[in-house]
Amino acid sequence: MAQAALTIDGLGVDFEGFKAVNGVSLIIEEGELRVLLGANGAGKTTLMDLISGKTKSTEGRVFLHDTNITNWEEHRIARAGIGRKFQIPSVFKELTVRRNLEVASCKNPGVFANLGFGFPAKAKVDEVLELIGLADEANRVAAYLSHGQTQWLELGLLITQDPKIILLDEPTAGMTQAETHKTSLIVNNLRGRHTIIVVEHDMAFVREIAERITVLHLGQVLAEGSVTDIETNPKVKEAYLGSKGIS
Amino acid sequence: MSSQRRIDWAIYAGFVILIMLVPLVMDPFWLNRIAKYLVFGMLGIAVALSWGYAGILNLGQGLFFGAGAYMLAMSLKLASATSLQQGSDRPVPDFMLWNAEPGAKTELCCITKASFLWLPFQSQWFGFAMGLILPVLMAVVVGLIVFRKRISGVFVSIIMLALVLLVRLVMIDAQPVTNGFNGLTDLGWFKIGDFEFDPYIVPTYYLIAGSLSVVLLAARLLIDTRAGVILQAVRNDENRARYLGFDVPAYQTFFFAVSAAIAGFAGMLYVIVSEFASPTFMDLSFSITMVVWAAVGGRASILGACIGAIAINMISATVSETEGFAEAWKAIIGLIFVLVVLYLPRGIAGLAHDLIDRVVARKTPRASPVLRVHDATSQLAE
Ligand SMILES: Nc1ncnc2c1ncn2[C@@H]1O[C@H](COP(=O)(O)OP(=O)(O)OP(=O)(O)O)[C@@H](O)[C@H]1O
Ligand SMILES: [Mg+2]
Repeated sequence: MAQAALTIDGLGVDFEGFKAVNGVSLIIEEGELRVLLGANGAGKTTLMDLISGKTKSTEGRVFLHDTNITNWEEHRIARAGIGRKFQIPSVFKELTVRRNLEVASCKNPGVFANLGFGFPAKAKVDEVLELIGLADEANRVAAYLSHGQTQWLELGLLITQDPKIILLDEPTAGMTQAETHKTSLIVNNLRGRHTIIVVEHDMAFVREIAERITVLHLGQVLAEGSVTDIETNPKVKEAYLGSKGIS
Repeated sequence: MSSQRRIDWAIYAGFVILIMLVPLVMDPFWLNRIAKYLVFGMLGIAVALSWGYAGILNLGQGLFFGAGAYMLAMSLKLASATSLQQGSDRPVPDFMLWNAEPGAKTELCCITKASFLWLPFQSQWFGFAMGLILPVLMAVVVGLIVFRKRISGVFVSIIMLALVLLVRLVMIDAQPVTNGFNGLTDLGWFKIGDFEFDPYIVPTYYLIAGSLSVVLLAARLLIDTRAGVILQAVRNDENRARYLGFDVPAYQTFFFAVSAAIAGFAGMLYVIVSEFASPTFMDLSFSITMVVWAAVGGRASILGACIGAIAINMISATVSETEGFAEAWKAIIGLIFVLVVLYLPRGIAGLAHDLIDRVVARKTPRASPVLRVHDATSQLAE
């Protein structure tokens, strides 16, 4: 059996009485691609916030391999090997696409280590530019990219950063069908090289990438299984009643 | 190197050559004045680094300037003939003698309650070193607290503003050690070896111009380092940088401290050419004036901010000699500031860059640090 890359044990957060995530336990195996589903407000983003250190948990623990990283500072969690893409794409808008990736390629994050000139990882950056399809835009300032391109650039930042675990929060939000398809190709390309957790609403996209799905509901794990398991699961159907259904 | 960068460096070199040629055409009186403006140019660099590059609008940069100034001034005060009154061979600042309790021992150790603080300043190089160390120390302490707590934007500005006013008050209040709002006057000359830097001689001008050139080029190199690029990334999106593993407060604090060191150095140079240090260095209006220089010159450009400071001061000096125009000039500066903020967010340097870009006719827009865009969406990114 594969090793657990990320172990989440009874994780929860209490926002002054409101438990946005409530006792979630998950084991993500090395190299797995796990999809998180759930209606709006189910706590998917909050769960990622808890894993990546943005929000401090009030209960439970998070392990990266054997290291307890619960409530570490964000940059330490990042250095330990967890990368994250935000629901609203965030890149360095005033830097060129290449510069963005160069910054992400920086292996030693300290100030004093970076008082030299030039980023050494040119080959890696070129490779990522190809992978995310922005090679022609390499010298453009990121602010001028389209929404889809910005999303891909942020994915590129993550790929360049090369963390063990990648958290993707709605990587296809606001994308056209063609863009969504391209994104699924990029994500599929990462499969095996990284352990990936994806939050996604778009079922077409989910079918293209998913192996295992975890469904969150009201801050708790409602179900876990393969795509077909989840689509036929009565509890999931019920939870989605009222909203537009899982389709 | 891209043609844009080559032009950039050529302009820097041109500026350095230009300030080196000034003594050929100026008399000693003007040379001394220009030297002061060059010092202000150095302050412009300090502001550009922290505001334009680190995104920290420091409304209390005068704190670091003043700290540097006082540290060296204390040493130069002790080196002054006025501190060796009554035939003593142990220096005691004259104002301490005037204020001494009757019967107090007229020694630096104990003439007033805290006068012993002056003891190590008998060495000029101690004062000089402290002129760099103290501003850096203050910046690091403030930086670590403020940036670790993720206090940002306007709150940092206000904290620094409050801090400079507080220190100014303390300096005025601690009259027995600091000579209050009279400041430190009648200073001796700065010395390197046996050479004395009389503020009205050409070598003193070159001391200032040389220092400015070194600081200018060093600052320019600094922002071209990886750390400089990462700093710009941090300014663009702190969170993104954090989740890439960068210790954001460390970057902010480092550049804040470098900016403080430059301001402290400028303070010392100012003391060398003006022969006084005074609490007015920590007036709010002075700190704000520095920001105006940098804004007009272009805070996103090290050289732009530097030239902005020098140019505004030169024009001010010329204009205010015209009778009755001095007050109007202040209003004009205010107006220019407003216009620049509204229509030229990257200042005159930004305008120059755009013109050069157009001439070079580059196809793609270049990365240039512009106004910190308060893009609510990216700031609040989940
Ligand atoms: N800092 C906070 N304080 C209080 N409540 C919060 C906080 N952050 C999130 N919440 C609440 O927690 C719940 C879960 O939010 P979350 O953003 O995790 O949902 P989500 O599953 O990502 O939804 P979506 O699909 O809309 O992105 C929501 O009801 C939200 O209002
Ligand atoms: Mg969400």
